[in-house]
Amino acid sequence: MTAVQFLQNFLNGISIGSVYAIFALGYTLVFSILGIINFAHGAVFTLGAYLTYSLAVGQFGIGGLFADLQLPFHFSFPFALLTGSILSGFAGVLVERCAFRPLRKRGADPLLALVSSLGVALVTVNVLQYLVGSEIYSFPSDVYGDIRPAFVLHFGEKLVVIRTVQIIIFSVCMVVLALLGYLIGWTRIGKALRAVAENAATASLLGINVDRFILYTFFLSGFLGGLAGSLVGTSFGIAGPYFGVSYGLKGLAVIVMGGLGSIPGAVLGGMVIGLAEAFVPSEYSAYKEAVAFAFLFAALLIRPQGLLGRSHIQKV
Amino acid sequence: MEGFLQNYGFLLVTLVQQALLALSLYFPFMAGQLSLASPGFYALGGYIAAIMATVDSCASLRNALGWTIFPLEWLVAALVSGILALIVGIPSLRLRGIYLALGTIAFVEILRVLFLNLDITGGAIGIFDIPQLFEERWSYILIFGPLLVVVLLFIHRLQHSRTGRAFKAIREDELAAGAMGINPTYYKVQAFVIGAVLAGIVGAMSAPLLNTWNARQGTFDASVSYLAYVLIGGSRSLWGPLLGAALLAALPELLRPLRDARLIMNGLVLVVASIYLPHGIVGALSRLWSFFSTPSAARGGE
Repeated sequence: MTAVQFLQNFLNGISIGSVYAIFALGYTLVFSILGIINFAHGAVFTLGAYLTYSLAVGQFGIGGLFADLQLPFHFSFPFALLTGSILSGFAGVLVERCAFRPLRKRGADPLLALVSSLGVALVTVNVLQYLVGSEIYSFPSDVYGDIRPAFVLHFGEKLVVIRTVQIIIFSVCMVVLALLGYLIGWTRIGKALRAVAENAATASLLGINVDRFILYTFFLSGFLGGLAGSLVGTSFGIAGPYFGVSYGLKGLAVIVMGGLGSIPGAVLGGMVIGLAEAFVPSEYSAYKEAVAFAFLFAALLIRPQGLLGRSHIQKV
Repeated sequence: MEGFLQNYGFLLVTLVQQALLALSLYFPFMAGQLSLASPGFYALGGYIAAIMATVDSCASLRNALGWTIFPLEWLVAALVSGILALIVGIPSLRLRGIYLALGTIAFVEILRVLFLNLDITGGAIGIFDIPQLFEERWSYILIFGPLLVVVLLFIHRLQHSRTGRAFKAIREDELAAGAMGINPTYYKVQAFVIGAVLAGIVGAMSAPLLNTWNARQGTFDASVSYLAYVLIGGSRSLWGPLLGAALLAALPELLRPLRDARLIMNGLVLVVASIYLPHGIVGALSRLWSFFSTPSAARGGE
């Protein structure tokens, strides 16, 4: 591999890796507080992509209940992205209310939360299919305004092509990561969230309203999921209501890689898996989908606590 | 009778087949482990049977064996599934908690990508024109039915054996079981391997039934369905997976008039059942039974 090729793969990798990172953070936030994996996260990802599409473009296809509908308004892309992600955040809150809270109040087996969240995911995805059909939706290239679609760097004979979308994705993710880091590390809300994650019973004794912070966590998780979905959707198009399933599963590989419940771990895991996929040689590109899962297995074998996770000693 | 078999025979075969797959998840559940691997082993078993039944290099074997090639396919599928389950199970089951679920999700996805791209599995098209064991589809009940009976008897016997009691101890409290001298990893892997072997055999039996076999046989969606069978039926009794599979596999047929909204209903059933039937249908029934069979004075407070 030449240096130029390396640079191209590297740039592709950190762009998609940054999306994996913010998506996986949505899993991590919920896991660090509840110790449960929210299997509806992939569905929120899909929902976010469709919401942003609806707000930014608003032209529906030929299938589903919304067939041939054209929304009377449309927002500029940044505003649509923000609104779509915030609405996904509320969808996250709804997931908590429908799938997690009733079970928590009954003290049910955590395995059941897995099934109920899968149930919510199934409902979400199929309602989407009912509304918008199962065709491919893609964002028009002028959706970001009047900017060039790609930048080409010349290295003698060789070219490195960076799509503008990739730059947008990477910058948005970095800004969100910085804001999230600030929120969790340096604000009262963040302090309370960390306290709940450390020990919910103690936090509630200290006067923290645990249920409210669980809701905040699901809002953040949904926001990140919807944002990731929107960014992937604008880059590669929305390949039907089931397109979130594979990202949802890949996200699991990312959090295991990084260490379950570790926030820096999720970011690092996302980058590692994004880069690893980008460096798959083109003749094996059909196997790219399996790379993340191979990493998951390797993590289970070699370092089950993940790259940055703490290994726990079980106390009796 | 003839017409009945024509119409409902295939549904009956499907229900028994789905019940067997639910039971293949029930084995790890007996030891308290959540596995999502069954669709992977099911797909693998099916591919083994399909390849052995169609590939040219196996032609002489097929001619020599006649119909006995079918039991041989089941045996090979069982062996390969068992060995693969050991490879997958040991790293994931050393750990406690959600890791087996995550490891098996990864396993199913890796297999799916491999099946979709390898030449021997026919790529995206898959393998078709798989020779049939029976002329009529409902006749497959003659192999699935006895298998179901054998598996149920096996579970019944297992529950009261040393191994079955070890499974139960691990399920109730893995740390305590370990302290009592039970090796949790050994028994957890054993439970996982038994389930995998069963799923592999069911796959090998299903390939001729379905006539074609492709990568859509083993997906995450299927994992979710089987999990729902077990948890909604009741994961603490062997009747749970049976009842869950029978009800949920029949649900698409019953909900057919709803057409597109059918899958939405499926999801709602999962949510409602996990909230209101935490021990599954069998758990709720047995609680109802003990409520009515206990004299009211013994219930206390009344």
